[in-house]
Amino acid sequence: MEYETVFQIGDRPEWAAKDLDDRAWERRIALVPDGQVFWSRTKIDILKAPEALKPYGLRLEVYAEYEVFWDGVLIGKNGNPGKEADLPPEGELWTTFSIPTHLTDEGEHIMAMRLSNYYFPDHIGIYDLKIANYKALLTDRLIQNAYMHVFGGAFLIASIYFLFLFLGNKKEYPMLIFSISCFLFFSLTMTHFVRTTVPIHYSLHVIRLEVITGLMFGISFLIPLYFSMQFPYPKWKLFLGIYAGVLLYVFISKHHYFDFTVLKMVIGLWVFSFGIAVYGIFKKAKGALLVLLTLLLCIPIRYSVSFNVSLFTGFSLILLNMLYLLSLRIKEQRLAYENSLVQSTRLRLELLKKNIQPHFLMNTLTSLIDWIEETPKKGVMFIEALAKEFDLLNQIEDQTLIPITQEIELCRTHLEIMAYRKEVNYSWEEEGIDPGQKIPPGILHTLLENGITHSLPLEDNRITFKLIFESNTSYKCYTFLTFAAAVRQKAITKKEGTGLKYIKARLTESYHSKWDFTSEPVDHGWKNTITLYS
Amino acid sequence: MRILIVEDELRIAKRIERMTRAIFGNGLQSLKHSNTLDEALRFIENNALDLVLLDLNLNGDNGFDLLTTAVSESFHTIVISAYKDQAITAFEHGVLDFVPKPFNQDRLAQAFDRVNAKEKMENDAIKFLAIKKRGRIQLVPVEDVIYIKGAGAYTELFLADGNKELHDKSLEKLEQLLSYAFERIHKSFLVKMSEIKDISIASGSKYMAELKNGALIPIGRTKYKDLKAKWI
Repeated sequence: MEYETVFQIGDRPEWAAKDLDDRAWERRIALVPDGQVFWSRTKIDILKAPEALKPYGLRLEVYAEYEVFWDGVLIGKNGNPGKEADLPPEGELWTTFSIPTHLTDEGEHIMAMRLSNYYFPDHIGIYDLKIANYKALLTDRLIQNAYMHVFGGAFLIASIYFLFLFLGNKKEYPMLIFSISCFLFFSLTMTHFVRTTVPIHYSLHVIRLEVITGLMFGISFLIPLYFSMQFPYPKWKLFLGIYAGVLLYVFISKHHYFDFTVLKMVIGLWVFSFGIAVYGIFKKAKGALLVLLTLLLCIPIRYSVSFNVSLFTGFSLILLNMLYLLSLRIKEQRLAYENSLVQSTRLRLELLKKNIQPHFLMNTLTSLIDWIEETPKKGVMFIEALAKEFDLLNQIEDQTLIPITQEIELCRTHLEIMAYRKEVNYSWEEEGIDPGQKIPPGILHTLLENGITHSLPLEDNRITFKLIFESNTSYKCYTFLTFAAAVRQKAITKKEGTGLKYIKARLTESYHSKWDFTSEPVDHGWKNTITLYS
Repeated sequence: MRILIVEDELRIAKRIERMTRAIFGNGLQSLKHSNTLDEALRFIENNALDLVLLDLNLNGDNGFDLLTTAVSESFHTIVISAYKDQAITAFEHGVLDFVPKPFNQDRLAQAFDRVNAKEKMENDAIKFLAIKKRGRIQLVPVEDVIYIKGAGAYTELFLADGNKELHDKSLEKLEQLLSYAFERIHKSFLVKMSEIKDISIASGSKYMAELKNGALIPIGRTKYKDLKAKWI
């Protein structure tokens, strides 16, 4: 059987009595202004008398200062009803009283309250009432709090950990967002469960609600932002901007219906995140399916437990998901890093290989033997040039950037060697070279090799190479020209040779994506440009 | 002897040229050097040759196309290359010899000896015979060839599937390349030994070899004894 609480404005001591005809009392009072005293009466059935020495307790959530009477007997006092305007706020929003054992026999009882609500006169009523073993009432929330603090603490640690990770690598914004989200969720948990540990007067409760709603606003924005960064879709900044606008509207428009606002924001968060996850699956992004399933799982959770519990469960699931995505990205980065190490080693080997690969070495040695047999003096000069190139390669083999002057010297030495082999008059020209510049090792050398291989001498048996350097504030540009008769055009373009791959890999290694490389036939032979953007 | 040298390293080309002249002396009718692929191909088309000395890595090109073109021609090919690992491929396609760089005159002379068949070569690596068919080069697996018939300057390859293909090389040149498994049993026939089923004497004391596919190939009188000994 259910009873309704009834109310009456006024203040008469006999209204506490057990047997009072309160049938004329109001079932609802919207407003009791100026902190006037009013009374409430609630019928309560005790179905089973407590065991000996284990009294029942009464827990209340009421926006008021009040006295509580049980069957006409005063069992508790929370503040100073009726004197709120004159006295400072006293008492708490959540209170627990013990009920004397002799008043809790099986049967019908009356809980009467003498109240005044000076601060929120439109919040009249008993928001929560629970009767149970007094000791259990005192401890159950503490136990719940202990669990929730551990729970919140885990997210605090995660937040700090990922903040440090972000500080270590300031480009990793998803880490920062995850860190903030974890911190907001930790704060939400702490704020929500603060009521057990910190006494709050009912006049101050609105602060707690404001904080909770504010935290929810932050979380509701950050989670879709995070998913947007992990599963980018076209114009995501625009969509996110619109979403932020909607969220702000919800946050402001019915601000003081806190629960309503929180619910609306959570729905917005869910719908938007769901959309992003669907797009992520469409794009076959890793982890998107898991996000979608988690979001779907939130629906049955919402309808099987209370809103607050579903909120905490749902959020922790989503945060775990975000953590999972983060771990996926970290793994990707680690693989990319390991890959880059392998790549560096490979490039180094490739540079070293330049002079021991059979085409260079065996042809050089064959020519060398011939020079020694025919013209020993020239043969010696040839050996000296060869020694110089090996020496230069030795100096640069383990570097990723070398002075441009060193690279040019390498090229000149190589030309000397090739002149002995091919008996072509090679000449080297340069223009605007800045000796202070650095360049990845072996890339001009590679262009030079290609130039030698793919060119025939002009009629005067001459091939000229020219290196031009230009720079301004936004870029530096090397132009490498070959003046020669081309062997043939079609074969060169058919596929990218290992030489060009080496150049591109070296540029990527040192300049990431901030470079451009072109290589094309022109009237006078061949033209390569390397542009480095600052 | 008419020889073409295909080599883009001038110093090395000169070396080959000098040594070739020294080795052949007056036996040399013509010697041409070409340092590009296109020029070499044009020269091959328009001139009769006995031997091509080929570098497989011309101007950064992979020499495989050049190799298959060269071995499909009537002349013998000797590869002179810096890449020893190309030797197997080269022999599989039927080059006469593979001279790795750096080389000296003795090694070159040894290769040239094969041309004159002074030295019997034991190339059991040959896997393909390159033929020209409808303007393209096709590789015929040697294991599909049953016997070869000389037809003037050309030869006809008789294949296991019953087809017949033309090859530009003479029977003498193919005999040099295929001697490990094929036997010249007649001035016009080169037969794979493993394909011979029986040897019989036909009327008029003609000797005939019966092949596993039923074909009857005449055996030259001078060849009979040799063949009989080898076959048993």
